[in-house]
Amino acid sequence: MTWRPWPRGLRARLVVAVVLVTVLGATAAAWASARSARSALVDSARQRLAQTVAGQIGAIAPELTYPPDQGTLDRLRAAVGPNTLVTYRNLRSADDTGTEPVTGALRSAVRARHLIATQVVTAGGRPFLLVGTPIVITAPDGARTSSGIEVYTGRDLTDVEGRVDDLTRSAAYTAALALPLAVLLALLAARSVLRPVRELRDTARRLAAGDLGARSPPQGADELADLAVTVNEMAESLQRMQADARRFAADVSHELRTPLSTLMAVVDVLATAAAGMDSDARESSQLAIAETHRLVALVEDLMEVSRFDAGTARLRLEDVDVAGAVRGCLRARGWLDRVELVAPDGVVLRLDPRRLDVIVANLVGNALSHGEPPVRVQVSVSRDQVRIEVADSGPGLPQDVLPHVFDRFYKADTARPRTPGSGLGLAIALENARLHGGDLTAGNIAGGGARFTLRLPRNQEDG
Amino acid sequence: MASILLIEDDPLVRRGLQLALRGHGHDVRTADTGEDGLREVRSSAPDLVVLDLMLPGIDGVEVCRRVRAAGAVPVIILTARGDDFDVVGGLEAGADDYVVKPVQPTVLDARIRAVLRRATDAPDGVRVHRDLRIDLAALTVTAHGEPVSLTPTELRLLLTLSGAPGRVFTRQQLLEEVWEHDYLGDSRLVDNCVQRLRAKIEDDPGAPEYVQTVRGFGYRFGPL
Amino acid sequence: MKRICAVLAVPAVLLLAGCGIQPSGVTGGGQAPAGVAPGVTLYFIDAHSRLQPQFRQTGRLGSISEALALLLTGPGYSGLRTGIAPTTVTRVGVATTPGVTEIHVPFTANEMTSLGIDQIVCTALGVHVQSGGSRSMKVRIIFTQSTPESNKLRTCPLIR
Repeated sequence: MTWRPWPRGLRARLVVAVVLVTVLGATAAAWASARSARSALVDSARQRLAQTVAGQIGAIAPELTYPPDQGTLDRLRAAVGPNTLVTYRNLRSADDTGTEPVTGALRSAVRARHLIATQVVTAGGRPFLLVGTPIVITAPDGARTSSGIEVYTGRDLTDVEGRVDDLTRSAAYTAALALPLAVLLALLAARSVLRPVRELRDTARRLAAGDLGARSPPQGADELADLAVTVNEMAESLQRMQADARRFAADVSHELRTPLSTLMAVVDVLATAAAGMDSDARESSQLAIAETHRLVALVEDLMEVSRFDAGTARLRLEDVDVAGAVRGCLRARGWLDRVELVAPDGVVLRLDPRRLDVIVANLVGNALSHGEPPVRVQVSVSRDQVRIEVADSGPGLPQDVLPHVFDRFYKADTARPRTPGSGLGLAIALENARLHGGDLTAGNIAGGGARFTLRLPRNQEDG
Repeated sequence: MASILLIEDDPLVRRGLQLALRGHGHDVRTADTGEDGLREVRSSAPDLVVLDLMLPGIDGVEVCRRVRAAGAVPVIILTARGDDFDVVGGLEAGADDYVVKPVQPTVLDARIRAVLRRATDAPDGVRVHRDLRIDLAALTVTAHGEPVSLTPTELRLLLTLSGAPGRVFTRQQLLEEVWEHDYLGDSRLVDNCVQRLRAKIEDDPGAPEYVQTVRGFGYRFGPL
Repeated sequence: MKRICAVLAVPAVLLLAGCGIQPSGVTGGGQAPAGVAPGVTLYFIDAHSRLQPQFRQTGRLGSISEALALLLTGPGYSGLRTGIAPTTVTRVGVATTPGVTEIHVPFTANEMTSLGIDQIVCTALGVHVQSGGSRSMKVRIIFTQSTPESNKLRTCPLIR
């Protein structure tokens, strides 16, 4: 596994963040409570032990001779317990354990104030509470003076430490218990956040792929719901803009049709009269006729595209002999002698013959005008589809053109002389193929030459 | 050559088509509304009506139906390309053929001629099939002794079918022979015309005796 | 995962750091015990009938009953006198409850002057204070005969 500074997935990040926050919080709480419990335990032990020592000394003090001799000190030490040191000026009474239960700080604290002083130390890995106290002489009127006797004693705090450890351990367990809960919560939170995010992503993908009808139902009233609403609004406005543009194209084509009808009618008259004109007038009228026909073809293609965009294009399915239909298409356009046709007879497919004619005419016309002869049309049949391949022997399609050949008005080379096509032929051919539930693809043959492949499914349902 | 009534509301299209058809040798009268057109059909009795379906006032489909009801004058309708709704409506109203705007006058002229052409190459004689009598010389048809008024297209369909009784004609073949369409002809023309023909000559159009349907192939003439 | 483990290790270390008992500085632990003394202070009466403390070098403070036993033996030859009748019984019972010390004396109320009573109260209270006790302690003297005097809670006029 490679080291990454932070998990990339949103889910992983959410889980880690929630787990961290929870565990840190639980640990801090556990630590704080363990700490305060510990100091309470230690404080109470300290006070209890100090009281005990003071009580032991107070109980025996009136019985002690003063000024004390060695015996008195020994007696006092025995009364206080083991691990005790008693001093009076030069006299001292100590255990023979070797270590003295006193530190310099403790001793100076005891001497400075006539009060009991305590200190926690560790010795040999075990915690000890040192209690040091002077014994004071109180006058009957309450005045306190030092007696010069000092008592130091050490008490083992191991049992207190044991209880502190118990507390700490249970706090740690509590914090650890929070861990699986935190993971569970984080997963739940991540799911509730990620589901709308995933839906939005799917919607955005569909929008990007051109499905402008894609929407995300907003759930709840949070920021993600706001985002979903915004995405939906964006999609709606895209859809509106696209619909406006398409309606405009459709309207323009419609409006052009009436004047074109007139033009088509009168250029026919012009054509018959052209024979009697002088050469310039004849050429002009021939140009007018040719351009009118081209304009009509362009408007018809535009309207056809508009119908696909509006979803009003309908299939009129008939049982069609594919070889016959392709041959008819070529014959009607006078291409039979320019095109090599390989088609098995008897392949009957349920399709719209006009649309198949449009596809084949576009592909072959394209090959004839852009590619090099010979142009070859091959019909082949497999179990579930019929393939119609149209190939030429030219240089083929450049790699940068290939993805765009089906784009509307796409011109591979802007410097190229104008060709008779509308620029919509291949786009319309593709739409027609898809309307049949088939597909149309462009590619190059290994030896050179472009090849368009139309695939039509054989089990086309009756429309 | 033929007298044609052009019903078209747009004045420039109307004039352009008039000029073009005149150039093809037709005598063209015009009308700019359905009402005018129907009046003209009654008064001048044209050989054929070219009818734009998009008309103000009475729409083209209704005009077509009234023309058909008034007599056997053939009707060719002008429709917008791909507007199947118009085509279906026009054919059901009795139109003989349709062309798509903007139309090339040569195409329209060819359709006009095809619709008007009678089976002139058929041999003279009389074909009798049960109660149906077809006089090939006079180009008249009687059923149960009653004369039947057929449009030229209906008559030509009947002659084509009855010329080879029992032979199955595909719709494509009928389109090429009767309508002189190319390989992309619209088979709905055939189906509509067959229905009109049956309505005129069959005793029970729902159970046809003469023009029989061969499912999946086309039509044939009976009885066998 | 390494990262997560590292981050999780921080609270664990923090938790462990809070474990156990850490050495501390010196803290005050309350009043130092008292009670040692070279002798005991008894209270007698001087020529002007006033209470007068008399220090007896006994080498240690001793208990209240020991002090009272000494008091009952009298002032000796010191110029002071006592307000308590001479007796051979010097044994005195002492019972201490919080705030009150009860002293059982071998006398009737008539055998003592009020100064004698003060002598007993002051001596007992003095020992109590010198042992580290509170000066606000009250003393009840219980006589051999039941009398309302036995119920009085008394204080020493010299020790306030």
